[in-house]
Amino acid sequence: MKNLYKYTGIALAFLGTVLTTSCETDSAYEDEPASIAAIAVANPAFTTLEAAAVLGDVAVTLSNSNAGDPSGDFTVFAPTDDAFARLGLEETTLGVLQQPFLKNTLLYHVSNGNLLSSSINDGGTASSLLGPTRRFINRDGTLYINGSEILATDISASNGTVHVIDKVMIASGANVVETALALQSASVFKNPRLTYLVEAVVYAELAEALSNPAASFTVFAPTDQAFINLGTALGLTFTQPSDIRQLDKDLVTAVLLNHVFADVSAGKFTSELNAGTYDALGSDDITLGAFTDGVLSVSGSGNAAPANMVIPDVQTTNGIVHVIDQVLLPNL
Amino acid sequence: MNLNLRLLAGALLMLPVTMLAQSPVSGFMKAKGEGSITASFSSEKYDEVFLVPQKVDGVPVFNEVQTTSYSLYAEYGISDNFNLVFNLPYIKSEGEATPETLDNLGYENERKGVQDVSLYAKYRFASTATPKGMINFIAAAGIETPLGDYRADEGLQSIIAIGNRSTDITGLAIANYKHNNGIFATGQIGYSLRSNSVPNALLSELKLGYAASKFYLDAYIANQLSDDSGVDILGEGFNGFFPATRVNYTRIGFNAYVPVYKGIGVSGGYANYIEGRNLGDADGFNWGITYSF
Repeated sequence: MKNLYKYTGIALAFLGTVLTTSCETDSAYEDEPASIAAIAVANPAFTTLEAAAVLGDVAVTLSNSNAGDPSGDFTVFAPTDDAFARLGLEETTLGVLQQPFLKNTLLYHVSNGNLLSSSINDGGTASSLLGPTRRFINRDGTLYINGSEILATDISASNGTVHVIDKVMIASGANVVETALALQSASVFKNPRLTYLVEAVVYAELAEALSNPAASFTVFAPTDQAFINLGTALGLTFTQPSDIRQLDKDLVTAVLLNHVFADVSAGKFTSELNAGTYDALGSDDITLGAFTDGVLSVSGSGNAAPANMVIPDVQTTNGIVHVIDQVLLPNL
Repeated sequence: MNLNLRLLAGALLMLPVTMLAQSPVSGFMKAKGEGSITASFSSEKYDEVFLVPQKVDGVPVFNEVQTTSYSLYAEYGISDNFNLVFNLPYIKSEGEATPETLDNLGYENERKGVQDVSLYAKYRFASTATPKGMINFIAAAGIETPLGDYRADEGLQSIIAIGNRSTDITGLAIANYKHNNGIFATGQIGYSLRSNSVPNALLSELKLGYAASKFYLDAYIANQLSDDSGVDILGEGFNGFFPATRVNYTRIGFNAYVPVYKGIGVSGGYANYIEGRNLGDADGFNWGITYSF
């Protein structure tokens, strides 16, 4: 009987121990801050960013402390799904981008240390892990980084700080011409873009001028479809970039120069541009529409309807490129 | 009375063991020369993942994961107090990543193969009759090691890996009380030493059940607490190698068994995680057929 009591006691103590000590509970860690990568994964507004981080191979980096900074922290400007969608990008379409370009683009959103909103000021700059610096703009009380509106600030992560932005930031790390060439040679998109523009710039012998490292241009870069549509409007059929050479060289030069601001509004992000009429490098004036939803419409005096920005705010080493969906025309 | 006890004992010996998160070692012993073989099937699914600090909707990359497994499980009594337990699962794990995502990443939506073979020895070192039942104390030790050539080191592809490629050595202490009316309770606690950077883990399980001549039923709560040397997915120290993650869970489930004809019986069960860390919030059913001799 003594054994019975002893065994029963041991058995009960045993069961009690099992029950009380080994149940998993989240109370032990629910107050721990998530890493930047975990925030992107947990937040339904960052689905595309999550997929991009996986594809761009930065998910592991942003899970861990920043070995490249004494603070161990990163600051990430995180584009929402809507921001990616502006460029036609979502999880299933990220494959249109070359992986190295995607990785570089993500790194352009990341910097070392904790950059809190309290230290973000109009006119200030912040370097990125990619290299090029980003600049901060206060437009009527709203903060922007480059052309991207900062929607939310100071989300604290275990390895740094997250700010939310409404547009993906793009930096080519090259000059205007090299940037156009990168698009044309499929080093950004797997399918080449801006092939007609590059051809036109070569044809008009403007490559050297637009490569000037000392310049700070604002360039409106028409898409291939914009040139094809122009050909149709002129009664021509453009099927390949060299078809642009059917046009008079001086005319092409004059038209292209109307796509460049080199003085008053030079090197401007959308967040720094205002509605109005501006003197372009060419002889025609270029009119910008109102700043709406982060973009402005653009038109030459010969355009029936204004052009829209398809890819705004591409930062190059000698200016800012806004890809537009029409060629800006003078009165022909 | 003798016949009833035999049937009851028979039912107790035919415990179905199927799901990964349930201890392969029961609180009951096979008599010398007796044994059982169980073929089982289980199917689990999850579209939420227990991450730190919160559970998230949608499995990264794969969206939803379905795991199907077929297991061969056997128990044999070398003597009344010394039994051997064997388990070998074949597992198929399927994700729901979009074709575009698979293309982009070079991943696949399926991983399958023979997983880990395990062999346990259990020894009843003490038992005593109570006025209306019996208490048993059992010690068990086992080894579990990869048999198939599956991989666990494919980066995020290994979110759907079928195992960790770890060799585990596990020791368990088990206490079991059976009441003569068929009600029983089994508690077990143990520790598992693991290789391939998998954190060691404290294991425990409490099972309450009823075993009568016509059927057997149990409900259990099973826990794993991994050593804090493990890393959290997307947390500090995470390098994309999933075996090194710290996997904790509390799981509840039930099993039922009905003898059908002579030594043959069928079983079914359900299990669900109620809390976890670094694993999918899976739930699913299992079915088995057992032959006892």
